Amino acid sequence: MAAIASDTRTAFSIEGMHCSNCATSVERALSHLDGVHAISVNAATGKARVDWDPAKLTLRPIFEAIRKLGFRPVPLAGEAAEAAAAQDRRRALKRIGVAGLGMMQTMMFVYALYASGAHGIDPAIAQYLRIAGMLLTTPVLLYSGMPFYQAAILDLQRRTVGMDVPVAVALTVAFAASVYHTLLGSGEVYYDSVTMFIFLLSLGRFAEMSVRQRSLSASEALTRTLPAEATRVLADGTIEKVPLARIVPGDRLRVARGAAVPVDGQLVTSTASLDESLITGESKPIARTAGDSVPGGAINAGNMIEIACVKPAHQSTLAGIIELLQLAGSEKPRTIAVANRVASWFSFVTLALAAVVAVFWSIFDPQRAMPATLAVLVVTCPCALSLAIPATFAAATAYLARQGLLVVKPDAIERLSRIDSVMLDKTGTLTEGAPVATVMSTTGISPERALAIAAALERGSDHPLAKAFQPFADANVIAVDFHEHPGSGIEGIVQNQRWRLGTREFVYEHASTEEDSLLYLGSPEGGAATLAIRDRVVAEAVNSVHALQQRGLAIIIASGDAPEAVNSVAEALNIPEHYARMTPQDKLKFIEQKQDSGHSVLMVGDGINDAPVLAAATVSCAMTQGAAIAQAEADVLLLNGSLKALAVAIEVAQHARSIVRQNLAWALIYNLVSVPLAAAGLISPWVAALGMSISSLAVVTNATRLAWAPWPKPFQVPA
Amino acid sequence: MTIVLLLIPLGLVLVVLAAWALFWAVDSGQYDGDVEAQGLIAVERDEPLPR
Repeated sequence: MAAIASDTRTAFSIEGMHCSNCATSVERALSHLDGVHAISVNAATGKARVDWDPAKLTLRPIFEAIRKLGFRPVPLAGEAAEAAAAQDRRRALKRIGVAGLGMMQTMMFVYALYASGAHGIDPAIAQYLRIAGMLLTTPVLLYSGMPFYQAAILDLQRRTVGMDVPVAVALTVAFAASVYHTLLGSGEVYYDSVTMFIFLLSLGRFAEMSVRQRSLSASEALTRTLPAEATRVLADGTIEKVPLARIVPGDRLRVARGAAVPVDGQLVTSTASLDESLITGESKPIARTAGDSVPGGAINAGNMIEIACVKPAHQSTLAGIIELLQLAGSEKPRTIAVANRVASWFSFVTLALAAVVAVFWSIFDPQRAMPATLAVLVVTCPCALSLAIPATFAAATAYLARQGLLVVKPDAIERLSRIDSVMLDKTGTLTEGAPVATVMSTTGISPERALAIAAALERGSDHPLAKAFQPFADANVIAVDFHEHPGSGIEGIVQNQRWRLGTREFVYEHASTEEDSLLYLGSPEGGAATLAIRDRVVAEAVNSVHALQQRGLAIIIASGDAPEAVNSVAEALNIPEHYARMTPQDKLKFIEQKQDSGHSVLMVGDGINDAPVLAAATVSCAMTQGAAIAQAEADVLLLNGSLKALAVAIEVAQHARSIVRQNLAWALIYNLVSVPLAAAGLISPWVAALGMSISSLAVVTNATRLAWAPWPKPFQVPA
Repeated sequence: MTIVLLLIPLGLVLVVLAAWALFWAVDSGQYDGDVEAQGLIAVERDEPLPR
C-alpha cells in the first residue's frame, strides 16, 4: 500500500500494545478498510500512523477497528494522552503490588512444604498450606496475570504466536497441576513459581513501559511547553486571556518572564532575551531586538515582552516540530520489523521445544516432566529482539531531539552509524550568511569612495547581495535615476557622474568569456574598482568541522556557488576536497559514485530546494529553521543551523548500534545456556523465572543507557 | 503446631489489608509522576513565615 497525495495523515497512540504481534494485528485489521492506504504501527513507542482518504471513510471506523482488537486509540499528546499513560501506570503498579504480596506469602507457605520433605510434616498441616497457597495464587493469577492471558488470547485469535502465548501456557499448566495436586491431597505444587513468575514478568513489563513513556516525552515535553492560553493586549491597552486557538496574526501578545512564547511572532519590545533550547537545542539565551522573529515555544528569559502574532498557533515552528516528532515515533524502522518477525518465530520454537521436553521426560522420568517443561516455557527471553532494539533507537532519538537534531525517519539512527563521509552542499551553511563587500583593486579612486558609490547604487536594489554594501553607505553620496539590469548590474547618477556596478561585460561594455564572481564599478571614463563579496565563516563551524574530521569522517564541499566563495570557505575550514559550480545533477552523480565505491554519505542541505539530491544520500540532513521545518524532506533536521550537533549525532548513533549488538549477543548467549539447562531439568521453574526477568531487565537497562549517558561532555565542541 | 491454624488465616487477612492500602495509595496519586516532583512541592510552596 502506498500513500496518495490527497490522503490525510493521522498519528495517534494505541494503548494496550506490548509486542510486535499487537502492532502487526493492528496493521492487518486496518489494511482491510477501504480508503486506508498506508499504515505504520510501532510497538515500541505505541504509536501508529495512518494515511487515509477522507472521501472514502472517517476516523471513526479506523478507531473502531482498533478497539475491536482490544486496544484503545488515544491522541498523541495533551491531557488525554497524559491521563491514559497515568492510568496505565497505576494499573501496572497495582498488578505488581498484588503479585508481590501474593508471592511473598505463597513462598512462606510453600517453602514449609519443601522443608517438610526433609523433616516430615503432619499431612493435615501440609494440606492446609497447599490450600492457603491456592487461595493466594488464584487472585494473583486472575488479576495480575490477566494481561498475559488477554494478550495470548488476542494472539491466538489472530493465529499468531506472540511472546505471551508460552507465558500463558506455562502459568496455566503450573496452576492447573498445582490445583490438581491440592485437591488430590498429595504431590508437588508450583504456586510459588506461578506468583514469582507473574511478579517478575510484570516488573519487567513495567520497566519497559517506563522506558517507552520516557522516550515519548520528547514531543510531549514540547507540547507541554505551549500554554493553553495567551495574554492579548487590546487597542486600549487592556489585557485579556484568550485560548491559543483564537489568536490570529496581528494580535499583540504579552509574554511574562519565564513564560513560553505562545505563537510565532515579531518582537515589539525593544530587546528580549529568549531561551530557544527546546526548538534549536541552543542552551544559551539569545538576545533579540525589536522587529526580530520570535519562535513559538521559546522561553522568555528576560523581562516581560510583547510580540505581534505572525502565524496562528497550529502553524507555528513548534507545532511543525511536534508534528514531525509524532510522525517519527509512529514509523517503524526496517530492523525492528525484521526483529519482530524473528521474535514471533522464537515464541513458536519455545512452545515446540517445551512439548518435546514434556514428552521426553514423561517417558524417561515423569517426575521431571512438569518442572522441566515449565522451566523451558519460562526461561526463554525474546525481549532483546522485540523491545530492546526499538527502545535503544527511541532513547537515541529522544536524546538528539534535546540537542536540536530532529530524527524524522527512525531508520536514520541505524544508517547514521555507518557514515564515513559528510557532504556539505552549500557554503551558506558554514558562513554567517551576512556577506560584506571588499575592494580588490581601484584605479584613480579611493577604496572608501568606491564602496560609498557602490553602496549608493545598491540602495535602490532588491538584490540579496545589496545588503553587503549597507555598512559603507554615506549620507553625502546619493544615487539618482538608477536602473537595474537583471543579471548584469545596476546603474545610476552619483554627483552628476553616471556609474555602473555589475559584471565585467556590463561595466566595460565588451563581451567576456572569462568566468568570475567579482563585481566591477565603472563610469563612461573607464573602470574604477574591482569588488568582491565575502561571507565570513562561522567560528563554530571551524570547530564542528574539526570535530567531524577527528572522528575520521571525510568532509566534502560540493556546492553550486562560485569557485571563489567555495575556495575561501574550504581554506578557512581546512577542507581539502571541495567542488564549486556543481549542478544538482552533478551532486547526484557524485553521491552515487561515492556510494558505488563503498562509502556511506551524509549530505547536509537546506532540505527544500535540494530534495532529490538529499534523497540519494545514505542519510540526508537538512539545516532548517522556522516554518520551513515542516516542509523539509530529510532523514534528520538540524534545527539550530549549526553543525555542532552532527558530530554528537554520529557518535550517539554508533553507540546505539553497539548497544543493539550487545543486547543481541546477550540474548543469544543467555538463551543458548539457559534453554539446554532448563530442558535437562537442571533448573527449577522459579529459578527460570528469575533468570528470564533478570535477562529482560539487563537488556532494557542497557538500552536506556543512551538516555542517561553524559553525552555532551566527551563531544562538546567549543563554541 | 496448632498456632499455624491461626497464623495462616491471619497472614491472608494481612495480605488483603496490604493490597487495599496499596490500591488506596496508587488511586490517590501517591505514585504518579516522577520522584522529584514531591521534593519540588516543598520548594514551590514556600510561604512567608509569620512575623
